[in-house]
Amino acid sequence: MTATLTTPPQTTDDAPSPKPKQKVPLKHRLNRFDVKASPYLYIAPFFVLFGLVGLFPLGYTFVVSLNKWNLLTGPAGFVGLDNYVAELTDPFFWNSLFNTISIFLLSAIPQLVIAVVIAAVLDQNIRAKTFWRMSVLIPYVVTPVAVTLIFSSAFDEKYGLINNLLTAFHLDPVMWKTETFPSHIAIATMVNWRWTGYNALILLAAMQAVPRDIYESAALDGAGPIRRFFSMTLPSIRPTMIFVIITATVGGLQIFTEPKLFNPTTATPGGPQRQYQTTVLYLWDLAFNRQNFGKASAVAWLLFLIIVLFGVLNFLISRRIASGEARASKRSTARRLARINEQRNSIPVAASEPAETVAAPRAQPDDSPTQEHRS
Amino acid sequence: MTFSRRTTRIAAIAGAAAFALIATGCSSSSTPASTGSSTDPITLTVSTFGTMGYDDLYKQYEADHPNITIKATNIDTGDNAKTDWQTKEAAGSGLPDVQAVEEGWLSAVMQVSDQFNDLSKYGANDIKDRWVDWKLKQATDKNGRIIGYGSDIGPEGLCYNKTDFAAAGLPTDRDAVATLFGGSSATWDDYFKVGAQYKAATGKAFYDQSGFLWNAMVNQQKEGYYKADGTLNVDGNADLKALWTKLSAATSSGLSANQTAWDWGKGKAFTDGTFSTFVCPGWMLGVVKGQVTSAGGDASTGWDFANVFPGGAANWGGSFLTVPTQSKHPQEAADLAAFLTDAKSQAAAFGVAGTFPSVTAAQTDPAVTGTNALSTFFNNAPIGQILADRAKGVVAQFKGPDDSVIQSQVFGPSIQEIDSGKADGATAWNDAITLLNQLVVNK
Repeated sequence: MTATLTTPPQTTDDAPSPKPKQKVPLKHRLNRFDVKASPYLYIAPFFVLFGLVGLFPLGYTFVVSLNKWNLLTGPAGFVGLDNYVAELTDPFFWNSLFNTISIFLLSAIPQLVIAVVIAAVLDQNIRAKTFWRMSVLIPYVVTPVAVTLIFSSAFDEKYGLINNLLTAFHLDPVMWKTETFPSHIAIATMVNWRWTGYNALILLAAMQAVPRDIYESAALDGAGPIRRFFSMTLPSIRPTMIFVIITATVGGLQIFTEPKLFNPTTATPGGPQRQYQTTVLYLWDLAFNRQNFGKASAVAWLLFLIIVLFGVLNFLISRRIASGEARASKRSTARRLARINEQRNSIPVAASEPAETVAAPRAQPDDSPTQEHRS
Repeated sequence: MTFSRRTTRIAAIAGAAAFALIATGCSSSSTPASTGSSTDPITLTVSTFGTMGYDDLYKQYEADHPNITIKATNIDTGDNAKTDWQTKEAAGSGLPDVQAVEEGWLSAVMQVSDQFNDLSKYGANDIKDRWVDWKLKQATDKNGRIIGYGSDIGPEGLCYNKTDFAAAGLPTDRDAVATLFGGSSATWDDYFKVGAQYKAATGKAFYDQSGFLWNAMVNQQKEGYYKADGTLNVDGNADLKALWTKLSAATSSGLSANQTAWDWGKGKAFTDGTFSTFVCPGWMLGVVKGQVTSAGGDASTGWDFANVFPGGAANWGGSFLTVPTQSKHPQEAADLAAFLTDAKSQAAAFGVAGTFPSVTAAQTDPAVTGTNALSTFFNNAPIGQILADRAKGVVAQFKGPDDSVIQSQVFGPSIQEIDSGKADGATAWNDAITLLNQLVVNK
């Protein structure tokens, strides 16, 4: 196509057109077409699949959400944004959102903190490395259904292991399955148990990629293990941290299996009074128990928007932290350079030579004030 | 914390499954639709749930019909089977040739009854005298199409624990127990009176939780959550309100053990005397046995089955075998469903799973009335005979499209409130009405 486009200006003067066409034989044109089009063809399968299983359902869900739509009997009229309005004023929707965010915070924060600590420990030169690395991954290998079964019986109110222990110590049993906050903790515990090791391994992989000689030189400079961890390890694995935080956010906001199976026999999914009904569980309940496919789709879209919002927010925050730290370290480096220069300038050149060599080793242990200053 | 990181793998698996489905879909559509010639090899898919006791019957049917292969899928619970059916129904593909439907979600099925074959076109009229008449009526839609063959029904009797009754100084013989509760004219007042007596003697709860009692109370009304004309029948229903008051008063006085239904501490509550009576439709006998066994108990735990039920005859549950229009072989599927629900098959299934037959001839079959493993567990109670007795006078109640939502989501929270002592009966009733307005009236 490009060939025919470029040729016309030349051919307009001379009446016969076949001549320039001969200049670009079919083989060349095919060649050029190949060069231009092939890359698109190579990546097409992804986009076709994405369109099929990603974009189309998204769009279709949106269409459904604009209609009154019974799961079984199908569409019953266009209602515009009514489903969204109805959901945004439905206390159960807000209840589910509160539960989701509460469980998400209770799981994501401890989980990531512990994962970083575990990763840092595994990053050290310990014995039987592979054994420890494999063992932190074991919870992740166990199917979530099994995890939930075990935990839901441990958290049972009347016969559960945890309440039995509590009563053995003459404490009041906790209503893990019927009270809001305890049930959130119980569910967050399951999530943490399952995902901490997984996150730890990802973070460990990132830590392993940090060049060892940086640590060596830092150690030579007198930085202790904690200082090295905060000033070198953490900043170096920042991109991985952002990845882990964002995937944890998306996953945390879509939590379903754990609350669904925590008390599977309850009449209302998510606790008798919807104490731990998360948004996805609410969505499922709307679609499959109440057959309201339209509203369920509206909830799905609202959740999608909320996740995007959280994702962007998290990204911005983590990037800000990242650049903020970079700025801070730049500033402190500048300050230190300035100080050194000052020292250099203040000391008379002739007398400085022996004094500096004596002072230098002393200066290193005295490094702690600057550390305080920096933090 | 689950989906995002699993998404890729799940997508891969789902993709594979989808392709497999497409592939099987293609293959099944490419086989020529049967045109009455029963010599072509045919595969019939059957989807059931729980324990329906059909496995041996499938083998027998295959042996009698060499051209038919049965591919059976059994889903663990009725609820999961409902989700499975709904998803495939909404998607418009994937349903089996024979789909088992539970009474609890029959109303949802009736919303789309045109998606099921009218079995009277496939021989239902020749066999419709098999069933108790109300069972057939339940399976008939408003246009008079018969869309399901009844399998079991759920007449309710009373399970009680002999050992606990003896400890409370109550009679333990099952006939004496039936008399104690008022015999053929037993009322809920009688039941709660005995409960108070039991509580006074032992200090323990009488029933596991209020939900099953409420379920029985509603089920034995002539009209339940819906009137026969399809309008809602909860708000301002004096009968239901009176029953609720009765139930919540008894519960508040400590007769309920506030157990989690279907969990019961993994069965432990059945063996440690937490409660001593339990409402038992036929199929529940198998559940009780399973619960007791899983908690390490056996027949000596003392459960027995009495021929009495407070408030009169009640039915809970029961299933139907339907033939969705998606089936490529409706005639063969209908034949199989007819076979699985004939008297001999139902009697055989009762022996395996305790599902009480809805076919009248099967109810008097020696396999049902005689002893079996289940009756041995219940202190040699003649469970088949008792259930046949309890089935008398049961009326089919009209179930509206939101019946299960009202049962589980409107009254479920309120029942939990009274069981756990969070609210008194009147408050809990008002909460239920609020939920009703929110979930059903203004949905």
